[in-house]
Amino acid sequence: MAISEEVVKRVAMLARLEIDETEASSMAQHFDGILEHFNRLQELDLEGINPFVMEGIEGTPLREDEVRPWGNRDEALRQAPDSDGDFFRVPSILGEEDKI
Amino acid sequence: MKLYELSASEIVRGIRNKDFSAVEVLRSSLDRAGSLEKDLNAMTAFSSEEAMVQAASVDEAIARNEEPGMLAGVPVLVKDNMCTKGINTSCASNILKDWKPPYNATVVDLIENEGASIIGKANMDEFAMGSSCEHSAFGPAHNPWDTDRVTGGSSGGSAAGVAAGYVPLSLGSDTGGSIRLPAGFCGTFGLKPTYGMVSRYGLIAFASSLDQIGPFARTMEDIALSLQVLSAIDPKDSTCSRRQRPVFNSALQRESLKGRKVGLVKEFSEYDLSPDIQGAVNKTLRTLEDAGAEIVEVSLPVTMTSGLGAYYILAPAEASSNLARYDGVKYGHSEPSDDLLNLYLKTRKAGFGDEVKRRILTGTYVLSSGYYDAYYLTAQKVRQVITREFNAAFAQVDSIIMPDSPAPAFRIGELIDDPIQMYMIDVFTLPVNLAGLPGLSVNTGFSSQGLPLGVQLVGPKWGEMQLLSQGSILEKEFGSAKIADGGEKR
Repeated sequence: MAISEEVVKRVAMLARLEIDETEASSMAQHFDGILEHFNRLQELDLEGINPFVMEGIEGTPLREDEVRPWGNRDEALRQAPDSDGDFFRVPSILGEEDKI
Repeated sequence: MKLYELSASEIVRGIRNKDFSAVEVLRSSLDRAGSLEKDLNAMTAFSSEEAMVQAASVDEAIARNEEPGMLAGVPVLVKDNMCTKGINTSCASNILKDWKPPYNATVVDLIENEGASIIGKANMDEFAMGSSCEHSAFGPAHNPWDTDRVTGGSSGGSAAGVAAGYVPLSLGSDTGGSIRLPAGFCGTFGLKPTYGMVSRYGLIAFASSLDQIGPFARTMEDIALSLQVLSAIDPKDSTCSRRQRPVFNSALQRESLKGRKVGLVKEFSEYDLSPDIQGAVNKTLRTLEDAGAEIVEVSLPVTMTSGLGAYYILAPAEASSNLARYDGVKYGHSEPSDDLLNLYLKTRKAGFGDEVKRRILTGTYVLSSGYYDAYYLTAQKVRQVITREFNAAFAQVDSIIMPDSPAPAFRIGELIDDPIQMYMIDVFTLPVNLAGLPGLSVNTGFSSQGLPLGVQLVGPKWGEMQLLSQGSILEKEFGSAKIADGGEKR
């Protein structure tokens, strides 16, 4: 199954990654090659296997719900591209839905 | 003998013995790195001043007769995807190029608390995605045995730094072969521990269910020593196992493998291995057999045919999710924009390199509505089949011998335009990550062209002790890793 450049562009929008025409076409070609490997998996007998089990994993450990201060907030904020007091600053987000 | 030629264990003994100081060792290491770095490009940043402070404090501890730590005065190179407080941590990506983390990765704290001096950060494929260390925003690292060739990836700088004698010990991470492949290409030992053996706190995530940190060294004694330090239980990583760790260096004393069984994978005969690598595998089997092991054929049919497909669904799927955090808002590169959507789109376009973009797009595709069942869930099931195949094999044998790669180090540029051919290089290493197993790369010698020839010993989960025993028996036969002249073409 070939993947069109249109599909690549839609996926890129989902990933919030701008791509140009050249990248879309080279990525479509890449998909052609890699899907061959992916589609080979469909030929296997996977009846009855639960995809959500990880064998041999010890399970999620629990801990007390305690407050532990992390003293690096100022340093973390200092490296933000744009901040305002204790907040990260972003451009206006109202009206965004119309563009997607 | 020059100080930079010493192993980590020799350095610790010498410093405790007052044969030399930690500052002298560090100077020798920094001089060595400084003289070769323009040819090898193994590093993304130096932290010489911080290292000097650390070495001086080791010397003061010695002067006061205090315990200086298990890695006292050992110069170490840390892959640039592990957070070092106040020191650049870029993941070899433009999106994090000037970022200085506000905290240390657990492994960084662990080695510094034991007296190690971090001389800087090691070059790598961007976000650890690659098999050659060519996908770096800092340019490719060069193999110290032949600078026209790749180091292997993604932890290429960590391998090259140890092979060229910058440091006796370095840290890498392995998601699909990223420690074992460069160890093989550069002729060092490299261990990818069992998933859950080493804390991932502060390791910048690529594929969280596959990533694992491990050491590069020139001796098996150093692999055991560093693993002891690195494998501490860490409450900050919920996937870091709470199981008690063994005393690793006790595995190195074993002389005989009598009663042990070593597996040879039947399906290898279908692969086109280079004669050099085939020779390395045969030599390894013969050595283990001479030590008393019995060679047994094991079969991993689904692993060998479908491991690559499953890996290149699961790893990009996890990567696309993990890399969603680079949004131009909280830290790292940001492209000024009037609205939020364009801030995301343009920041990520400018910040990520080609291979990272390929993986993000692949991962987003396999997780997108309509394809999730066919790709992601199928790959998760295949992952379980692969784990079961390894479990069945390890019911019969104590370890499995595999090549690191089908051929020795290739030339820089040779595969850069053919990503899928590049992916195929990892066909023998990535199944080990899918099953969460430990893998040790051992150098067996050199090809007629002077290129290192590595093989990989794979163990069952928590089978590190057996790998260390077998690795040290191979070290007695093939020798410890040699230091390359670097820059010298042969």
